[in-house]
Amino acid sequence: MKRILSLLLVSVMLLALAGTAFAQDKDWEIVVVPKDASNPWFVRMKVGVDEYAAETGLNVYQKGTPEIDATLQAQLVQDLIAQGVDAICVVPVNPESLEPVLKQAMDAGIVVIAHEGASLENVNYDIEAFSNTGYGAFIMDNLAEAMGEEGLYTTMVAHVTNASHNEWADAGVAHQKEKYPNMTLLADEARVESEDNGDVAYNKAKELFKKYPDLKGIMGTSSYDAPGVARAIDELGLVGKVFTSGTGMPADNKALLESGTVKSLTLWDPALAGKAMIALAVKVLNGEAIEAPIDLAVDGYTALTFKEGSDKVLEGQGWIVINKDNVDSFGF
Amino acid sequence: MQKNLKKLTKRSEPYIFLVVLALCLLIEVRSGQFFTANNLVDIASAMVVPGLFAIGTFMVIVSGGIDVSFPALASLTSYATTKILLDAGYTGGIWLPILMSMAMGALLGAFNGVFIGFLGLPAMIVTLGSSSVFKGLMQGALNSVQLTVIPKGMQSFGTSALFVATNPVSGLTSRMPLGFLVFAAVLILSFFIMRYTFFGRGIYAIGGNEVSAHRAGFHTKRTKFLLYVFVGMTASLAGLIRTCMMQQNHPTNMLGMEMNIIAGVVLGGTAITGGAGSLTGCMLGTLLIVIVENSMILIGIPTIWKSVFVGALIIIGTGISAYQVVRANRTGGFKSRIREVKA
Amino acid sequence: MSDILLRASGIHKSFVGVHALKGVSLEIAPGEIHCLAGENGCGKSTLIKIISGVYQPDAGSIEFDGKRLDKITPIDAILLGIQVIYQDFSVFPNLTVMENLALNSELSNKRKVVNWKRMRQIAEEAVAKINFQVDLDALVGTLSVAQKQMVAISRALMFNARLIIMDEPTTALTRKEVQALFKVIMQLKAQGIAILFVSHKLNEVFEISERFTIFRNGELVVTGQTKDLDAAKFSYYMTGRAFSEEQFTATKLGDKPLLEVKNLGLAGAFSDISFSLRSGEILGITGLLDSGRSELALALFGIRQADSGEILIKGKKTAITCPQDAINNGLGLVPEDRLSEGLFLPRSIADNLIIAEVDRLANRFKVFDREKRQEEVDRLMKEFAIASPNANNACQTLSGGNQQRVVLGKWLACGLDILVLNGPTVGVDIGSKHDIHAILQNLAREGMGIIIISDDLPEVIQNCSRVIILKEGKIVQELDAAEATEQAILSKMM
Repeated sequence: MKRILSLLLVSVMLLALAGTAFAQDKDWEIVVVPKDASNPWFVRMKVGVDEYAAETGLNVYQKGTPEIDATLQAQLVQDLIAQGVDAICVVPVNPESLEPVLKQAMDAGIVVIAHEGASLENVNYDIEAFSNTGYGAFIMDNLAEAMGEEGLYTTMVAHVTNASHNEWADAGVAHQKEKYPNMTLLADEARVESEDNGDVAYNKAKELFKKYPDLKGIMGTSSYDAPGVARAIDELGLVGKVFTSGTGMPADNKALLESGTVKSLTLWDPALAGKAMIALAVKVLNGEAIEAPIDLAVDGYTALTFKEGSDKVLEGQGWIVINKDNVDSFGF
Repeated sequence: MQKNLKKLTKRSEPYIFLVVLALCLLIEVRSGQFFTANNLVDIASAMVVPGLFAIGTFMVIVSGGIDVSFPALASLTSYATTKILLDAGYTGGIWLPILMSMAMGALLGAFNGVFIGFLGLPAMIVTLGSSSVFKGLMQGALNSVQLTVIPKGMQSFGTSALFVATNPVSGLTSRMPLGFLVFAAVLILSFFIMRYTFFGRGIYAIGGNEVSAHRAGFHTKRTKFLLYVFVGMTASLAGLIRTCMMQQNHPTNMLGMEMNIIAGVVLGGTAITGGAGSLTGCMLGTLLIVIVENSMILIGIPTIWKSVFVGALIIIGTGISAYQVVRANRTGGFKSRIREVKA
Repeated sequence: MSDILLRASGIHKSFVGVHALKGVSLEIAPGEIHCLAGENGCGKSTLIKIISGVYQPDAGSIEFDGKRLDKITPIDAILLGIQVIYQDFSVFPNLTVMENLALNSELSNKRKVVNWKRMRQIAEEAVAKINFQVDLDALVGTLSVAQKQMVAISRALMFNARLIIMDEPTTALTRKEVQALFKVIMQLKAQGIAILFVSHKLNEVFEISERFTIFRNGELVVTGQTKDLDAAKFSYYMTGRAFSEEQFTATKLGDKPLLEVKNLGLAGAFSDISFSLRSGEILGITGLLDSGRSELALALFGIRQADSGEILIKGKKTAITCPQDAINNGLGLVPEDRLSEGLFLPRSIADNLIIAEVDRLANRFKVFDREKRQEEVDRLMKEFAIASPNANNACQTLSGGNQQRVVLGKWLACGLDILVLNGPTVGVDIGSKHDIHAILQNLAREGMGIIIISDDLPEVIQNCSRVIILKEGKIVQELDAAEATEQAILSKMM
């Protein structure tokens, strides 16, 4: 019995080994590491990555962890370092905990390009679809429009440790203070967590509306936030009375937008962001000089500029708004 | 009467009940919103999925085992059901999805059951392994992604309400989901199984002393096998209901739930060593966790302190349970375990 | 009805590489009390399992009530009227007495649904058969060992039992409880039920059985009438060795007391205990289970703390608040339940042997010295004749007697002056018991002060130069070796 089991185990291992043996022999091996593999956001990113590979013939592919988990992601990056890839394009789950691993990558001579990780130091460059301030303000504009530019609101992020979500939320709040004087931030619960989970966003929103009857809006950041909140708005009978806006995928939220539960959502196209990361990696690998404004030949990323005070973070102008009129026009 | 009262103080359920009550009062004082019709319906609705998971976990722990694979099992079966029916363009009612996912759940549960029941491998190791296998099947073989559209029948099951509770002051409304009926039915069924069938008594007996259970004439292997099949079925049912209630299937967002579920069951007085515990206690423990999870904002605990609060509650709660075990030792309950090892 | 109820003949049974039974036979008549004795590993448990259908014999035949049994299962055996009461009683500590009593019969009736009312009726009938008073709703885990045994016996009786096999039923019972058990056994005999009583305690064999059978190494050594048996023959049949039990006399008595205990008291356990112990002496302390003897042992070793009185070691007042204090002052304890208190069962024999002297095995850099350890382990294994092929085997692989020797070895390794032993030979077979006694007597002759706490009176009388008798937490009598007879001690103890 034991012998059969161990035989079985060995053959499973051999099989796994054989699976990795189909290594391609193109010039550069560039890997895109998203936060996870199943989130539609990164599924969309994979579309861009695969498209890029098809267009250029480069050995470019996306590899994600099964769950959003900082430790798993770090392990994956370590595996890639060991594998000896040429460039790693990463969307960090938790920038701080990924730093040491990225340093290993840089030390190994691997080009590291990040996305949504402006605070990272051990990278060649970080690409933001836009400046976080710009996007935060953009979400706030959409929320303010829905709320009629007045009333009590709060912000929702995946985790309070998530770098970009919190920068957007901060920028949104700053933008509101400057531009929408009749709106007020809910001081007791200025930031709640959705844990990147639609069900948590739903339950949190329910609690918020129960405890704070005056609450009129929730600014979402993660792509689970606004849709989850919208489910609560619908169930609580608050459609037309309270509002939410934030990042969201068009196809997923078609029903919400068309029913009017949500007026508008904001977005950038992860497929394009994925392409932009790879394009930049190729430039770096080819030894081209990186001087602003940079044209990566990807929509929204044709005039990248360095973030103020940084020589690593590049920002584009990739934001878009989605509403019931244009929701069908994206193809994803 | 006096005797009954004394017996009651020896059980852990009254203590958990008091803790739940105290927590409810705290929330009420802090928010003024706890004892409103819509909030109570919200809690009941949030209880459905964890409650179903807890029933299965309870039975497994009573048998002296443990199951950490149920979130992965539920994710896999609900994903596969939704995906297959979507691809087939299914437009019928809820029964087919329920039967399909439960059949798959039974199959995956049987996978656990064969290793734990018939081959006698440790439940912790087996379910840790099968948890990985289930996740792998879902992400590898089925290439899982979030499904934002679910079949019609599931959609309407998820949005139909038994009744709608309205808060007269704020006007907020909450739906009591149909899923609650399913939960209640499974709860009653499980209560009957555990109390009035020899299958259920066998689960207690195995948890108390497996060798003796075998000698007494229980089919211990078969009982354990069937137990894991049953647990697979309740878990898959929970997964399906969750998908219906969320109106979408997210393949990974149930993963990690096992810790709080197990904590809730143990909180409810179920001995982690097996053999002792009641469904009432188990439900109270789970209710406690569900209320805490869904009342952080109502109590006004800052977001960053949430996990500290939940963790502290679990330690305190299980501490009470552990203390009871120590007390039982003093009266000789544990001695017999030592004797058993010796023999 | 034939005059032989059970006839097993020429039974062989092998397990992977081990020939456990080599053609043994056993005959039991209806209503007979038959004692099956033998050292650990002699094959008696294997035979029980074959009779009760757990194992199938490789060769040989079993006849029950004139019918030959072939390939029976445990359930078949039960239906035939063969019941086994295992050493652990096979009860469920987490279930009520009622359920424990009724489960088996309900299961054998192939019931699927529980009828609690009927279960209660069954349970009530069961306890009535031996007039056993117990709260049917109490959890079995809360009962005393003797009560658990009565639950097991009541349960066995529900199946119209013809033969009840009791596997070492008296191991954990007090003297009074043993008497109660024997009364029940006589009742059963009167009803025509045969009893196969498995034991290696000589006095019990004499007291209860009519006929006996002794196994050694899987072979039948002797079978016959108990009245033809005496103590020397019994030990010889059991072990194949002839023992001359030596009465201990102190030869190297120190003149100053090694240990003095003055007015020691512990609320709820004992009070006003005073005695002294000189080097080279073995002091016996005996009493019933509730006499406070075990608590006294724990208090001397610092596990429990006495709340009044004082302890003097070598004339110096010593505060013993924890086991470390006791060890530092040269006092060691071999606990009552060596399994749970004295040994790290899953760890190796070697680790267990040296655990108490770990500090001494460090080299001058305070680092553990492996070579030193090996030397020490080899020495101890030899000195205490621990029967194991490899000192790295886990302690739980050893027999009870050998485990006890490991505990002894552990303490002696650190050069103690005073050794307290609580029930040193409980659950140990005759050969090992003899060896342990010899070790203790030797140690005393070499100048150690030893206290044996035991309710095994022959053991106390044979090994101790003085005996203190405890009753309800107080010293009621002190006897010297000449006065200490079983009768004299018993009259004060009860």
